[in-house]
Amino acid sequence: MELHLTSEQALLRDSATKFVAAAGPKVAHGLRGRVPSFAPARLRQAGELGWLGMLVPSSVGGLGLGLAELALVLEQAGRGLVCEPIGLAIIATAALAQGHAPHPILRSAMLGDALVVPALQESAHDPVALRTQATGDRAPRLTGTKMSVCADGADGFLVSARGSDGPALYYVARDSAGVSVMAAPTVDGRTLATVELKDAPADLVPARQSSRSAVEALTDLALIALSAELLGVMEGAQELTFEYLRVRKQFGKPIGSFQALQHKAVDIYIKTETIRSLLYQVAAANDPYRIDPALAVALKAKTSEEALAVTQTCIQLHGAIGFTDEHGIGLYLKRAMLLSSLFGNAASQRRRYIELTEMTV
Amino acid sequence: MFRHDSPNEAAFRTEVRTWLAVNLPAALRGRTNRPPPAELMPWYRALSRKGWIAPHWPKQYGGMGATLNEQIIMTEELARVGAPQLPAQGLNHIGPTLIEFGTETQKAKHLPPIIAGTVIWAQGYSEPGAGSDLASLTTRATLEGDHFVVHGQKIWTTWAHYSDWMFALVRTDPLAQPRHAGISFLLLDLHSPAITIRPIRTIAGDDEFSEVFFDNVVVPAENLVGKLNDGWRIANALLGHERLGSSNPQYALMALDRIKTVARASGVMADPAFRDRLAAASINVTAFSALFSHAVELTNLQRSPGPEASMIKISGTELLQSLNDLLIEAAGSDASIENPITTAFGTVEVSTPFLQVRRATIYGGSSEIQRNIIARRVLNLPQ
Repeated sequence: MELHLTSEQALLRDSATKFVAAAGPKVAHGLRGRVPSFAPARLRQAGELGWLGMLVPSSVGGLGLGLAELALVLEQAGRGLVCEPIGLAIIATAALAQGHAPHPILRSAMLGDALVVPALQESAHDPVALRTQATGDRAPRLTGTKMSVCADGADGFLVSARGSDGPALYYVARDSAGVSVMAAPTVDGRTLATVELKDAPADLVPARQSSRSAVEALTDLALIALSAELLGVMEGAQELTFEYLRVRKQFGKPIGSFQALQHKAVDIYIKTETIRSLLYQVAAANDPYRIDPALAVALKAKTSEEALAVTQTCIQLHGAIGFTDEHGIGLYLKRAMLLSSLFGNAASQRRRYIELTEMTV
Repeated sequence: MFRHDSPNEAAFRTEVRTWLAVNLPAALRGRTNRPPPAELMPWYRALSRKGWIAPHWPKQYGGMGATLNEQIIMTEELARVGAPQLPAQGLNHIGPTLIEFGTETQKAKHLPPIIAGTVIWAQGYSEPGAGSDLASLTTRATLEGDHFVVHGQKIWTTWAHYSDWMFALVRTDPLAQPRHAGISFLLLDLHSPAITIRPIRTIAGDDEFSEVFFDNVVVPAENLVGKLNDGWRIANALLGHERLGSSNPQYALMALDRIKTVARASGVMADPAFRDRLAAASINVTAFSALFSHAVELTNLQRSPGPEASMIKISGTELLQSLNDLLIEAAGSDASIENPITTAFGTVEVSTPFLQVRRATIYGGSSEIQRNIIARRVLNLPQ
């Protein structure tokens, strides 16, 4: 179903669609295993378009846009399997822009000259578990271990840690003393890293006044961003698959004329439409710095589950060709595996949902 | 659910909540069946007197002309208080259809009694030989001067035995090809002579539907809606309203409440595996509500729901069935008890709604037919 967009939003989506026309499964294939596994020039291009600072208030040089605009851009990025970590870069600049004096790295991060990514997770199953400690109020130092960090090409991290006033957000430069990064390749040719911090120097990133805390604000924002990109992954996979159903012939007919396949196709279409409606309603109803956590968690839970289901079905509908490395459809499943598991998979999100909605005896 | 009420909306919500708390009879709360007219219609008329019976209708026809958000508030508050299902054939089906396709005379005659709750409508679509293949219907209407003579049979007609009027699809050209080009849309007074109505008992133990026999029933020619042999287009527009209206998330929200009550009473709420499934169910209701509001938003702009109504119907009815699966799971060994279960947390119907929702994926075009419609009309998959 069509979205109801303002003319500015429609323009933004068009420019995102154009940006993505130069991406796609072939480009994503070519970038597998490279260091970094994306094109830094393309990240700078996103910066020139203003996207990397799209949530940053205009008073500090950003576009001051909202979650709907974030979703419009990231939906297209997912659709084209864009490898540049645009979503993570956008939410990082949003976090860096908080407080009276924005962090000095903000400017180059908005331009795509520097890449800052969140490093929040410490447990594979509890996305909000937090043991990393911050000591020293004036010149904080962090000690702890972060996992599942998209550290590829990153110049710095937004790290959650427990300070004297509870959980807080800190900026840590990658080349600081006491920072070590151990990367493991992912199925889609990128890497996820464990970041170890041993008394690493850090800068406190203050919370915006309207947020509960900078850590929660960034976590909720990450859930929205990942869901938007996953929606695009579902759409891209679906488009390839519907086209294949129209052209591939067996038994002398296009296979898309068979009811068994038509009904599977309708089911993935409904899943994708549902996620789109859910994403844009959540986006329309929430401020980037003040997101209803139960809604963010519900969105990520549902989207993670459905993105895996849809991309798996897309491979099944392709038959054997869908199982080849050469064909692009497998990359959609692999991207869905990465994004659906980051910051908590569907089951982890449901556990948080139970807590947040007080679903108790 | 997604947005915070504006000050005006918050005031409206408070007004609705307060009024419902005072005016909805206790005996009508939490009912999963549609109570018979003697019980239900006084409540219908109370809502009507308050001006709230038709939030989605334009003001000029006696509706509220409510905004999408006000409609959602109404739905949420009706669900919260456990309000019973109202007869939908007038409010959701023929009403909006007449507003779109009816003559001024037809609107003036039929819309006010629907708002007032003085006339009940039935839908004459299915026939013994025309279920999923609706266009093969054979109930014949022959134009003889200033009236039609109707002969044939309708079946699975909800509330026909309580109804005053029926909107029906009738064959006015038996030779037309394709077959749907020979179908017209007719309004029939069910109190006319030569009509026999027999209720049919369902697996849920109620007799919500009937079979209706027409033995040369005389129907004035002015009861034709739209042009002769142009009934299929109107029928489909109406089905769009029906598919959207019957999937209102109010019923899913009420089912969720029922599950929580039963799960607390039976103790299964303490089981983390069950809570995970309940969380998934609750998230599914949230997601469906978003899909539904999105469709209603588009409908408010285009008037007739497009093929997206088929998606809403599949999604809403299959959600309702999955919720009722969870309900009988929560009830454990009480699942097959026929009467409502009395618990420390209230009396809850379990087996009845579980059985009732079997029909939801069948009426208004089965889920399989809806999938065919989407495959063809939305995804453009080959024939």
